[in-house]
Amino acid sequence: MQINTVTTDGKAVLKLNGRFDFHSHRDFRTAYEHALDEAGVQAIVIDFQDVDYLDSSALGMLLLLREKAEAAGKSVALVSLQGMVKQVLEIANFGKLFSVTG
Amino acid sequence: MKILIVDDTPANVMQLQAVAHPLGHQTIIAADGESAVAAFQAEVPDLVFMNIMMPGMDGIAAVKKIRALPADKWTPIIFHSAVDQMQDIVSGLEAGGDDYLAKPASTQLLQAKINSYARQIALQNKVHGYAEELARWREDSEEQTRLGTHVMARLTDAAGLRDQMVRSFNLPAETFSGDLLCAARAPGEVLNVLLADAAGHGLAAALSALPLTQAFYSMTAKGFPLPSIAEELNRKLKAILPADRFVAATLASVDVRNQTVEVWNGGNPDTLFLNTQGEVAMRWASRHPPLGILPDELFSGMSETVVFHEPGDLVLSSDGLTEAEDLAGARLGIDGVIGILGKTQDSDSRFKLLLQGVETHLQGQPGRDDISCLMVAVPIDRRRQFRFSAPKTINQSQFAEWRLDLTYNAQELRYIDVVPAVLGLITQVQTLKEHQGALFLVLSELFNNALDHGLLGLDSVTKQWIGGFEFYLQQRAERLAKLHEGRIDLSFLLHQEESRAVLDISINDSGPGFDYSHRLQGQTALSEVNEQPFGRGIALVKSLCNQIVYSGAGNKVWCRYIVSDLVLDAPSDAEDGSSAEALPVTGKSNPGTQGEDGLILF
Repeated sequence: MQINTVTTDGKAVLKLNGRFDFHSHRDFRTAYEHALDEAGVQAIVIDFQDVDYLDSSALGMLLLLREKAEAAGKSVALVSLQGMVKQVLEIANFGKLFSVTG
Repeated sequence: MKILIVDDTPANVMQLQAVAHPLGHQTIIAADGESAVAAFQAEVPDLVFMNIMMPGMDGIAAVKKIRALPADKWTPIIFHSAVDQMQDIVSGLEAGGDDYLAKPASTQLLQAKINSYARQIALQNKVHGYAEELARWREDSEEQTRLGTHVMARLTDAAGLRDQMVRSFNLPAETFSGDLLCAARAPGEVLNVLLADAAGHGLAAALSALPLTQAFYSMTAKGFPLPSIAEELNRKLKAILPADRFVAATLASVDVRNQTVEVWNGGNPDTLFLNTQGEVAMRWASRHPPLGILPDELFSGMSETVVFHEPGDLVLSSDGLTEAEDLAGARLGIDGVIGILGKTQDSDSRFKLLLQGVETHLQGQPGRDDISCLMVAVPIDRRRQFRFSAPKTINQSQFAEWRLDLTYNAQELRYIDVVPAVLGLITQVQTLKEHQGALFLVLSELFNNALDHGLLGLDSVTKQWIGGFEFYLQQRAERLAKLHEGRIDLSFLLHQEESRAVLDISINDSGPGFDYSHRLQGQTALSEVNEQPFGRGIALVKSLCNQIVYSGAGNKVWCRYIVSDLVLDAPSDAEDGSSAEALPVTGKSNPGTQGEDGLILF
């Protein structure tokens, strides 16, 4: 999976690309830790536009991010959900844990 | 390095020793083939210098013998012979030698050869060590897997899964499945089932789901309602699991007597109720995040209860089933599952078709995730059977009295599951333990009447409307959350009444009461009220208790439950006949409904 981070106005958008699964562990963590460490960043946005697969370990990584962001007083939003990704997040009711926009 | 030198000429031996010793190697000497074989076995050298022409057994025969010995490492053998024995050298190498040196060899050449073999042997030892370590790891791992499989099978062995209403399969992606299936009967014949799917698969996932079993079984046995079980399971996992681990779960409760199915689904595919025509009559989507994520105060155990009017199959599954892929990567999907199940009518063939269907869909590949499914065949049972253990005769000349008085105020009533809590208390008394099922029914009927009608002012008539039962439950939840005053007193007295042990139960509520004389008139036989969605409760209590008396404004109820016969004097052989005659008959006010072997039909 490729991750492209664009930071503007205190908002870090992590645009993911490809399969979000166990193998993305290190890349994803590096990307969000970078955003968490940056003092200017208040909100972290995960963009799922180009993600075509998501497994349960990806859900686990999102939960870890949620916990760390909470501790750092920063917000996390999931955006551009579509197809299978949207389905999986709906079944897991992640809308009750994250701010989610289609 | 240990070097075996085989030569009958002392000068040759001394030359080799003179080279080997300064290099730090140890030497062993043999003067002929036979002693060479013996020394090889006894000393296990690392390297062998072998002369060919020797008295007795020659070098070639000795090498053949040595190579025929069982060996767990490679020991190089160098033929050390005169050049004119070239033909012999060739046959020596064919017999199992590794190299040759022509005599006389220079000291430098001997040094270089020994050093070269020392390096090769060191390398070989290293590789051999790795192989040994790997073999040990493998053995350890196999042993742990064997032990783990055994323990896991015992821990997750649910006798409840062998219930005649339940069918299930669990196809692990690895040795251990992260999917966990449980089924158990609650007091009062209600069937509870659990299908849990821990994130990931293998041993780590199996371990994550494990803490659920004990809590599920003990709370089910005590008669706790589904939302309370869900809350407890979540609390357990939240305390144990790291932040990125969770367990998707479906809990369902099937009450054949009241014709209801209750479901809590957090993170699993839709739970389905298929009628015999193969249509999806009811469907419960995932309404909650999986277990182990939310803290207690944010978690919701709210379940959805639906009344069923036709028989069918309740189907719970993990996403391994709906996401099973064929070779082209097409998923089976929930519609695929429904399609397979809808092909036949009876539960058994539905189950077999689904299992076959999954295997066909996978086209021989192993599943990428654990695949599990639990089906409950839900009947419409007009007889509404309840099995209870027939009371035993107790040989006790003196029966000690036992008493318990409890008061619950509005504040506690809002959050305490009173019936299982009280049942837990009274069934600690040994004499009452085996009556748990019947006492649960009596207690829940009387207590729920006091709470629902007495304090919450709910009217059972609403249950008759279409969708009325669901409306009733919703109203109940709303009013209970707002309950600010009122109390319910419960009192239990276990004592001796003539030659019997009896339990007197009285429940008083602070509500306005009801017109019991009018309401209960004519409701003597259960069969008369069976077709109505209400009034069954009191008739059921009547069938289980010897007496039931309403008093006050109708907000006080008292009943007497017969626990057992007491044999007041130590029995002698002559009195055997009379004690058999005195066996108590539970529900004897309705002799017509008494079945065989302690089975009451109603």
